[in-house]
Amino acid sequence: MRKILSVIKREYLQIVKTKGFIIGTILGPVLMVALIVIPIVGQLISVGKQETIGVIDFSQQMFDELNKKMDHKLKDGTRRYLLEKFELSASIEDLRSQLSKKVLDKELSAYLFIPENVAEGGEAEYISLHTTDFEKIKDISGALSSVIIERRLKKEGLNPQKISEYLRPAKLTPVKVTKKGEEKDIGATFMISYLLVLILYMTLFFYGAIIMRGVIEEKNSRVVEVILSSLKPFELMVGKILGIGAVGLTQYSIWALFGFAASKYSKSMLSSFFRLPSDFRLPSIPSYIFIYLVVFFILGYFLYATFYAAVGSMVNSEKEAQQFLFPITMALVIPIMLIMFIMRSPDSTLSVVLSIIPFFAPILMLLRICILLPPFIQVGGSILLLILTILLMIWLTAKIYRVGILMYGKRPNFVEIVKWVRYK
Amino acid sequence: MNALEIENISKRFGDFYAVKKLSLKVPGGTIYGLLGPNGAGKTTTIRMVMNIIIPDEGSVRVLEEKMDERMKERIGYLPEDRGLYPKMKVGELLLFLAEVKGLRGQGAQKEIDFWLERFDLSAWKNKKVEELSRGMQQKLQFIVTVIHKPELIILDEPFGGLDPVNTKLLKDIMLEMKEKGGTIIFSTHRMEQVEMICDNICLINKAETVLEGNLSQIKKQYGKNTVVLDYDGDGSFIRNLSEIEKIDDYGKFMEIKLREGQDPQSLLSKLVGKIAISKFEVREPTLNAIFIDKVGERDEKDTLSH
Repeated sequence: MRKILSVIKREYLQIVKTKGFIIGTILGPVLMVALIVIPIVGQLISVGKQETIGVIDFSQQMFDELNKKMDHKLKDGTRRYLLEKFELSASIEDLRSQLSKKVLDKELSAYLFIPENVAEGGEAEYISLHTTDFEKIKDISGALSSVIIERRLKKEGLNPQKISEYLRPAKLTPVKVTKKGEEKDIGATFMISYLLVLILYMTLFFYGAIIMRGVIEEKNSRVVEVILSSLKPFELMVGKILGIGAVGLTQYSIWALFGFAASKYSKSMLSSFFRLPSDFRLPSIPSYIFIYLVVFFILGYFLYATFYAAVGSMVNSEKEAQQFLFPITMALVIPIMLIMFIMRSPDSTLSVVLSIIPFFAPILMLLRICILLPPFIQVGGSILLLILTILLMIWLTAKIYRVGILMYGKRPNFVEIVKWVRYK
Repeated sequence: MNALEIENISKRFGDFYAVKKLSLKVPGGTIYGLLGPNGAGKTTTIRMVMNIIIPDEGSVRVLEEKMDERMKERIGYLPEDRGLYPKMKVGELLLFLAEVKGLRGQGAQKEIDFWLERFDLSAWKNKKVEELSRGMQQKLQFIVTVIHKPELIILDEPFGGLDPVNTKLLKDIMLEMKEKGGTIIFSTHRMEQVEMICDNICLINKAETVLEGNLSQIKKQYGKNTVVLDYDGDGSFIRNLSEIEKIDDYGKFMEIKLREGQDPQSLLSKLVGKIAISKFEVREPTLNAIFIDKVGERDEKDTLSH
């Protein structure tokens, strides 16, 4: 046991002392916070820029109304869009190429071409350097639509104002009911679930790869036999897995501290810099979710770490390992692809079954816990099944590892690996 | 006392016998040579002694006890494929490898400093292993083998790839250990090393023991029918002399096996005047000759029986 402790200590210090670990641990939360805070802050502080949009109004009757409708304001109260009308003097083609040049020269941020029959269903065009500013496109198409609709209504002798009142959609606010009461949910559950699941997914991949790299390094540097003259292969493998696992827990603890501090102080920090809306609330995360995150990290880690250790022992280089890693990669990627499905129906039979399958359970059960705490029997059942699978995996991979670490040269095929398992 | 007793161990990989019914005894306080051509089963035997691979059958007793994990602390092992953690600092590496041998704390630090000092590596204690030259890494590897004061050390092809300085260093460590009552087992296919330092030998070929026992007794069995000749000139006529059974000519050096009952003196008289003789020695066959004799003999039998 003391020998395993020595291995754990070595593995732990070897990783924790590296710059990569320190940077990753600190940069991780900083990045995460940045990912959430920067867009919010950006929206809060950016005034935005005034843009001039050229308009060729072939229908000859849209421009004034459109100009009136496009009265979106910047933060400082000025108009966001300035519309500039271009009279149809030369041929359409000449005018269009003239305006295209202005767009290319950045005199105009875009121009709009409105055909004669736009009210009867003709297609208007939006011409710009890039067509991914969806907000702007939405503003323009919204304004243009309402101009056209009002025009049609007036033609039929109807009052556009009345009609738009009649057509006002119902407001629907998602409210999440929990045992503690009701809570308005503006996408927070989605964000948090997604974030936690991604953290779990990335760390499982990351720490598995560290284990594998360690095993390959021991093999390649031929130090493994020196160590086996003091330890059993199984002790070496267990020490390695526990040591790297401890690194993972250290990282999670640091992140948890960050997260705790962020959720406690970020609101007061934000409000000291900006005027926040009175109903501004940071999403609250029940503490049991963090506990389950750690539980499923540990279980998922053990499940995949054993597999990665075995793969590392079978090969001579990381490149060779790719082929063997395919099943693990799939087992980790499939749940990620299922996220949307599970989010839509977290307690459907299929979701329940998928989240209990041991290789999917760490990610999918955690996801379900984030969205809607499943009955204890399902959570407990999946944990129990995971533990049993882990024990089975340890038994199997230890047998492969024991033989593999002393094998050099040709990469083994499946038949040979089965043989290894059978060796005494 | 026997430092090591192996009884009838076998190891099979699939249909291939790496070691078959092998037995040997290593008396305590001696240097023991495990000989054999490449692929004979030496490394597999040693790995089974070290409990790194488990024999299919047979038993291993070390220092009068059944070999198990606990006993590893009393054995020092230098594997054929040597290696250290390249990214670790020298001091940390030695501490780790001492710890897994059961040596801890102050005692471990003292030993580390002693050995680093002795091998002129003290200045490198806080350097990474990969920064050391190959020769220094070899020294470090010796330290790893002996740092926990083992009673038995097992060296697999220890002289392979060593420079002359480190070869001497290792030989000195081996003799020093023997003086202190320790036992050394080492495998090799280089006969001259064995002749110089071994008390006992075991010759393995194709997974089985061919010859085992005390080196001088083995040589005596072969009798003094070998002539070693250092000469200058054209010695090709010697091949056809009637006294000769077998000849191993290196150009300036010759090992000659005489026919049963032939007198070395009559051979000498036939050589005088024809070549310049700087040395003419009647002795037991070299281990090399015995080795080739034994291994070759088996191979011939194998070919005949097929």
